[in-house]
Amino acid sequence: MINFQYIRTTTSKAAVDSLGKDKTAKFIAGGTNLVDLMKRGVTAPEKLIDINNVPLKQIELKGNILHIGALATNAAVAEHAVVKQRFPLLSQALNAGASAQLRNMATVGGNMMQRTRCGYFYDITMPCNKREPGTGCGAKEGYNRMHAIFGTSEACIAVHPSDMCIALAALDAQVVIMNPKGERKISFVDFHRLPGATPEKDNNLQANEMIIRVEIPLNTLAENSYYLKVRDRASYAFALVSVAAGLELKSNRIIKVRLAMGGVAHKPWRLTEAEAFLTGKDATEVNFKLASEIALKGSKSFGQNNFKLKLAPNSIIEALNQAKSKA
Amino acid sequence: MADKKTNNCPEKDSRRDFLKQSTLYTALALTPVTVLKAADKKVDERFAALFEKIPLTLNVNGSKHALSIEPRVTLLDLLREELQLTGTKKGCDHGQCGACTVHVDGVRVNSCLSLAVMNEGKSITTIEGLATGDTLHPMQAAFIKHDGFQCGYCTPGQIMSAVACVREGHAKSKADIREYMSGNICRCGAYPNIVDAIEEVQKSGGTV
Amino acid sequence: MKNSLLKDDTDRVDGIDKVTGKAKYFAEYQLPGITYGVLVPSTITKGTITGIDSKAAERAPGVLAVVSHLNRPEVKGYEASNTKPVPNGTLKIFYTDKIAFNGQPVAMVVADTYERAVYAAALVKVSYNKEIHATDFDENISKAKPPRNPSSAFYVRGEAEAYKNSAVTIEQEYILPTETHNPMELHGMLAHWDTENRVTVYAKTQGVKATQNTISSTFMIPMENVQVNSEFVGGGFGMALRTWPVEIAVVMAAKKVKRPVKLVITRDQMFTLVGHRPHAWQKIGLGADQDGVLKGITHHAIGQTSSYEDFTENIVNMTKFMYKSPNVNTSYKILPLDVGTPIWMRGPGEATGAFALESAMDEMAHALKMDPIAFRLKNYAETDPEKNRPFSSKYVDEAYKLGADKLGWSKRKNEPRQNKEGQWLVGYGMSTGVFSAGRGKATVRGVWYADGRLLLQSASSDIGPGTGTGMVQVAHGVLGVPVNKITFELGDSSLPPAPSQGGSATMSTVGSAVHDACTALKNNLAELAANSGMSVTDPIAEILKKNNLPSIEVTKESSPGNDQSKYSMYSFSIHFVEVKVHELTGVVKVSKIVSVGDSGKIVSPKTARSQMVGGAVGGIGMALTEESVIDHRYGKFINNNFADYHVPVNADVPDIDVIFINKPDPYTNPMGAKGMGEIALIGFSAAVANAVFNATGKRIRTLPITPDKILS
Repeated sequence: MINFQYIRTTTSKAAVDSLGKDKTAKFIAGGTNLVDLMKRGVTAPEKLIDINNVPLKQIELKGNILHIGALATNAAVAEHAVVKQRFPLLSQALNAGASAQLRNMATVGGNMMQRTRCGYFYDITMPCNKREPGTGCGAKEGYNRMHAIFGTSEACIAVHPSDMCIALAALDAQVVIMNPKGERKISFVDFHRLPGATPEKDNNLQANEMIIRVEIPLNTLAENSYYLKVRDRASYAFALVSVAAGLELKSNRIIKVRLAMGGVAHKPWRLTEAEAFLTGKDATEVNFKLASEIALKGSKSFGQNNFKLKLAPNSIIEALNQAKSKA
Repeated sequence: MADKKTNNCPEKDSRRDFLKQSTLYTALALTPVTVLKAADKKVDERFAALFEKIPLTLNVNGSKHALSIEPRVTLLDLLREELQLTGTKKGCDHGQCGACTVHVDGVRVNSCLSLAVMNEGKSITTIEGLATGDTLHPMQAAFIKHDGFQCGYCTPGQIMSAVACVREGHAKSKADIREYMSGNICRCGAYPNIVDAIEEVQKSGGTV
Repeated sequence: MKNSLLKDDTDRVDGIDKVTGKAKYFAEYQLPGITYGVLVPSTITKGTITGIDSKAAERAPGVLAVVSHLNRPEVKGYEASNTKPVPNGTLKIFYTDKIAFNGQPVAMVVADTYERAVYAAALVKVSYNKEIHATDFDENISKAKPPRNPSSAFYVRGEAEAYKNSAVTIEQEYILPTETHNPMELHGMLAHWDTENRVTVYAKTQGVKATQNTISSTFMIPMENVQVNSEFVGGGFGMALRTWPVEIAVVMAAKKVKRPVKLVITRDQMFTLVGHRPHAWQKIGLGADQDGVLKGITHHAIGQTSSYEDFTENIVNMTKFMYKSPNVNTSYKILPLDVGTPIWMRGPGEATGAFALESAMDEMAHALKMDPIAFRLKNYAETDPEKNRPFSSKYVDEAYKLGADKLGWSKRKNEPRQNKEGQWLVGYGMSTGVFSAGRGKATVRGVWYADGRLLLQSASSDIGPGTGTGMVQVAHGVLGVPVNKITFELGDSSLPPAPSQGGSATMSTVGSAVHDACTALKNNLAELAANSGMSVTDPIAEILKKNNLPSIEVTKESSPGNDQSKYSMYSFSIHFVEVKVHELTGVVKVSKIVSVGDSGKIVSPKTARSQMVGGAVGGIGMALTEESVIDHRYGKFINNNFADYHVPVNADVPDIDVIFINKPDPYTNPMGAKGMGEIALIGFSAAVANAVFNATGKRIRTLPITPDKILS
């Protein structure tokens, strides 16, 4: 690993300022992804700005909105009483990710910023447009069992590895971002982006911006929600496919539904058409199946991940079944 | 390193003096690239090292350490190579196995993904700091009783994780123990024995 | 240290060291002036190095040397041709410009700190002449060839391919992908030349004598000038059964920089530099009459090796003697590919073979509409049909019953898809495993002190099974000395010789030598007692005092007798599992395990049980999760890390019931013990595959059984 300059900041303003001054600088919080990437030579920042002392760890309900600071750890959010009670989907998703140790280190902001786990991205001797634009995509005709079936491009078929973000996408969260001019707020589903011709950009955060917090509005889904994660072993593995499902039911009639998928796209994949189809219908296996078929529209596989065309709809049905049976 | 002392923080004065004298370098930003160039020009590497190292104060197993280290040194490598606390193991170096688990301010973390400098002022507990004098921690004793290991290499990480697991309240059922201990890989396959050991400590109700 | 819970004498003798972090593994020894080695791996898979630009690395802070074939110190054993142990093209590290596999070390950077060595290694620029490589097993399968030793290549009993003429036949292909041992401890070595001609190494090895021998002959220095220390080994599973080229590289580098050099390879290098369980293709043909009597068994296998060494293992052996078919034929070929040389991995070829044979047996039982246990009993071999002689002991029939009862085999329906819990299909499966109960030659030195302490020494190893714990119990059994007064020293090449820890033979081999040494001590003491008019029941302190001796000492070499040629000696295992398969997601959970060991007398019950448990966990990995994947376009592993190569985690493993027959074998060794390390895993993957079939009706013949295969 190249040596680097290391500085600590205590305010978000100072953090944003120092980021603006140095293009080769990066923030470090939990470090669980960044240090890994630095060890592998995937990234080599010349300066690290340690933001752990910036006071952004709050988890609090303000009116109808839950505010989660960007530096709240994954474990702190997953274990928080309000989150467990009012947003169990988020708690479940967080606990489905990584390990207890990593969740103690990783932060909400860092989780959103984590890079794909595509093997070609991680191996600096392999081609990867995300790591080194123009070198090609190693996965498209290579080992792509874990890869995307939605929103892929010629340049990239990687998936976003987060579980937390899948739940946040389903829960209509907003992201509050700070830049030198002030703050801006964007919808969580617009935070991450599809690869297109510029897969090196994972999200719409600008170079001089910092995630301050995530806001989640209270909802009516808490009683009937479920995070399903299908993976190659029972724990401590990335998703083949995951589904965040939340239902508001009135005697088996679906009043409201939220669905998002992980392991299938370059960003958390919100299933708005399937949601629209299910809204107002009965929560039946038949309707779940029809919704899962709608959800698969536009999907495309690359050989080794062909199975996801079956696993994804099946997982939607299973997640809805589980969410429903929670009542 | 055998020839390094634990307390090897360079005198602040010497660093300042060096910076003053070295007008060539004060004119430049202290980036690694600069240092590299210095190395290229065969500038004395001891000076280069001064540029790269920063002071760090840590409490490890109750002992305070004032150190001077490169920011790129991980907490794991600091413990093993600098402080000779080799009970904490390197199994993957990428946060994928849990062999390097230690407690930082009482919380279990993977020390391989933590830069040592990020732990300024914090208290670290490693496996060497778990027993009280000659008396084993109940979790250590339970691991022996239930044969919760074979080769022993993942064991310190398992035990540090297990203690945290009980403290967190994640050891109340076998299913919970299995899930919350899944961040510690044991290739010898001692998992069922590990679960038995943790369950026994949890049920004993004592302080862990 | 005191251990308040420690009441059971059979706890591991090194338990306290291991739970307190005091146990020192090779990389944890501090030598003055220690330096750090970091490898520069080849980025091509086949070809020639045309240049190494190490200028920037050499100028980087703290760098002492960049060792490569351009500047390496002389290695006499590499210079001489046809010198053991460098036969037929063993990779002569830093002695060739040829690249034989992706990741082959082309240089080692040595620096004064680990971080500096890592950084400098990234500055080394290597240029190559690239050639077309072959890593794809399927694409190259036609290039398979019989191994050098023709006796292992073909076997016929009765008529070849006779299965085809039977009333009921099965013919299927089974695939095992490459697996990687991946012990938790990373491989490497710490080496220091004490003088020009004498080297001390701290190694991760399953055999200190073997490592000593390899270094001695490679550097052409006397055996006694090579000191190998390896007291604690963080798992091996076979990968530390040879001294790998990277270890020689460390010894070379230490010679070059004249300081201690420590190399700890990275997890991804564990996939390329220290062997793997080779990819294997198998085809099984079974023929039976309508009553389920086997008339013919045919087993063909092809296993992968490297381009520069013939690696062989016993994939088809079990087929020759497990069932009493009159007609059996087997063949075994190897397929050289541009990968590193494989090495035996727990239950080596036998585990690969048992997956195929025991899956096929289940398929045949289903075709015959017979219970799989009844089918096996119908073809039960009371004597060894391969060698036409009795088994030294075999209680497999009893083991079937014990395991079936414990699991609740009666819940199993012979037709698949009959048991369901919600969305989960429930299935039951079983299989048999077998491994040679071999015994070798070992020497043990024993010293019995007047204060009652007993010291035993042998250059054996402990990669985890609990060698010392077992030996102490053997000694206790002979002499009655309390186990806490017995010390067993191992992992030091200066101790009396013992073979490497492999092939489940340590208890049989070293245990026998301990037994014999202790018996000699007992006899010596009795003689001393008699000579001085005392009784052997008198305290040792008094007998020795009377004879004016501080202690008595023996060094005893122990070898197997000729019973080994009169009896077929095998250790057996029967694995029973219950699985749950989720219909929609394809997820498979092993929900119950019963493993029965027919492995003679159990010497050390607690560690023996742990061995069986560990084997089952390894078996879950083999069955459900493990596969090392190469992207053949580059010849490079693509999942070479613990996040993508899935070894089982805690949540994958249910409670495991272990049952031992625990009847002494009359012929294997004085303890009546048989080996256990291999049988714990052999056959397990077939039990899972059979249970998955019973649950789903889907037969999966390519491991691992991942959700995509269930859904396909």
